[in-house]
Amino acid sequence: MTDFSEIRECLVGLDDSRLPGLISRALDAGAAPADILNQGLIAAMDIVGERMENGEMFIPEVLMAAQSMSTGVDILKPLLGDEGGSDRGRVVIGTVQGDLHDIGKNLVAMMMESAGLAVHNLGVDITPEAFVAAVKEQDANILCLSALLTTTMPMMKQTVDAIVESGLRDKVKIMVGGAPVTQGFAEEIGADAFAPDAGSAAKQAKSLIS
Amino acid sequence: MNLMGLQGGQYQPLTQDQVKTIHGAALQILETTGITYETGLEATANMLEAAGARVNRDEKRICIPRDLIEASVAKAPEQVVLCGRDPKNDLNLTENRVHMGTGGGTIKILDPDTGEVRATTLQDLHDVSRLVDQLDNIHFLVRPCIPTDIDEKDYDINMFYTCLRGSGKHVMSGVNDEAGLHKVIEMASMIAGSKEKLQERPFISVITSFAISPLKLCTQSTLIMQEAIRNRIPVALSSAPMAGSTSPLTMAGTLAQLHAEELAGVTICQLTNPGAPLLYGGIPGMANLATMGYCGGAVECGMMNAAIHQLSEYIKVPNYNSSCLSDAKLPDAQAGYEKAFTAVLNAMGGSNYIHHAAGMLESMLAVAHEQFVIDDEIIGNACKVLKGIEVDEEHLALEVIDSVGPGGNFMTAPHTMSHIRSEYYNSNGVTDRKSRDRWEAEGSLDARQRALNIAKKLLANQKSYITEEVDQAIRDRFNIILPA
Repeated sequence: MTDFSEIRECLVGLDDSRLPGLISRALDAGAAPADILNQGLIAAMDIVGERMENGEMFIPEVLMAAQSMSTGVDILKPLLGDEGGSDRGRVVIGTVQGDLHDIGKNLVAMMMESAGLAVHNLGVDITPEAFVAAVKEQDANILCLSALLTTTMPMMKQTVDAIVESGLRDKVKIMVGGAPVTQGFAEEIGADAFAPDAGSAAKQAKSLIS
Repeated sequence: MNLMGLQGGQYQPLTQDQVKTIHGAALQILETTGITYETGLEATANMLEAAGARVNRDEKRICIPRDLIEASVAKAPEQVVLCGRDPKNDLNLTENRVHMGTGGGTIKILDPDTGEVRATTLQDLHDVSRLVDQLDNIHFLVRPCIPTDIDEKDYDINMFYTCLRGSGKHVMSGVNDEAGLHKVIEMASMIAGSKEKLQERPFISVITSFAISPLKLCTQSTLIMQEAIRNRIPVALSSAPMAGSTSPLTMAGTLAQLHAEELAGVTICQLTNPGAPLLYGGIPGMANLATMGYCGGAVECGMMNAAIHQLSEYIKVPNYNSSCLSDAKLPDAQAGYEKAFTAVLNAMGGSNYIHHAAGMLESMLAVAHEQFVIDDEIIGNACKVLKGIEVDEEHLALEVIDSVGPGGNFMTAPHTMSHIRSEYYNSNGVTDRKSRDRWEAEGSLDARQRALNIAKKLLANQKSYITEEVDQAIRDRFNIILPA
């Protein structure tokens, strides 16, 4: 049993230059790549998410951790084979039509990637039809809708309705988020989940498909 | 983020001409009106007379000529360093360098468990000392409350002992009499290792309310002041007239009278022991005209305290004064805005040693644990203002503006990472900026409740700043009441 605490500390401490070396050392010592990923990198990002929720880490610091996380994943990817990817969640994410805000949505995408999900980021101002098409194409099991403006919140409902009409509703869980969005609104428009920030969005997404 | 000792002076309520006018008025007051004294200060009056003052013993009136004042004031040090037990807590009092800490003498506390008002105890004094020790923006500890549960004869030694045990920051307090002062110096010398080491790094200092406004020397406090000065223990020359009752109602008149009182005090001290360290201690206050009690939270207190610093700076003596008081009875919105106003005004004024700035309510009558935490945040914000806005190549950030380019974002730029923990004020945790959902999930706590929770956590950290060996020696020598 290898101890991955150093890898976790390195990621949480934003000491990214040391990470590749630590990963090679763990591999040399015979650790399974999947264990390095799950007990090292992903576990560290769980800590980062928690600290972000508590206000102890700022978003740019979280993003930095996420960046070093993906550097680590790149090292491990060729060694993981199928075991890392087959049962992962597949996420389609975008900002709804009429809304051009993307920072919050991008944060969610990054945190979900760091949590081990496959994320397809559509961008901003996405029509309901484009969301439906992407869910089909990506065989997504999670759809994330973002809105910052109170005036574009109704477009979330229209997008959910379009998913229902397309017959895909049973295959995909729908999450909504953005500054004015609340749990109550999510329930009202028939979404499956709401998350107030990027860290908890990633956590929620994982629990929706487990 | 260290926000202690930053240069204020950005706010100057008086023009240089007005400063000179008020200084001239104060000299005139001392020359023509003079000061009065009571039995017991004959030696002090004789000392002043020998130096050139006119003393009328029948009327107990002393008039001091301006050249004597100017010569005496010139001997007072321009810089006074009040030490902490650890040099990182040293206070470099000079120019417009700002330090803010607690103030003294409340007799009530909002009980942290029940919220009810009750009398303060020795244990309370220890608890608030522990809070002050751990709250970074509270720079020094002026004994904040009186242990009403012990005998008055044990006050002096036990108040200093309790503060020095619980906190590593500079400790200042008043004493009841000269004997009390001697005991306190002896105890502090035991902690320092010797009296010489204490004088070298004075981690205690004394407040003496030598003046009873208007223009009267308090016998007991003047004697204590002179005795501390003889021992080269730094003294704050406290005088606190209230505009409308013990000084003229107008701000300019209050400043002129108070400056005269301070000039008289500095003269007495420098005649007693030339070059001895002291703090100009003018605290311009206001009477609550509805009750004639002390009005703590008025915005004019912030204006006048900034102005009195200009007068102390004019004579080149570091100053001690007061801000961040409130007349509110609990840590409510009034406490927040009154404290924030006077705190930032006086900090921007450049006062060197601003006491009363943490923990107090009901003017100077009550303390509350949560208020220390909230005021730590207010002081931190006020001092952050003094840091100003840095404009240099690194802070202009042209390189990163260019590399990010139009339409990009700065969230992951290395430039962002290198300034993320230093460019903006870091909260002590009491300020809430969470989403409403999260805030509700955590119990919908207001600032007061959040502050109480922080205080509770801090008080769980136990620590004594007096070694066991010295503690035992002190207990063998004095009647120490706080359990070991």
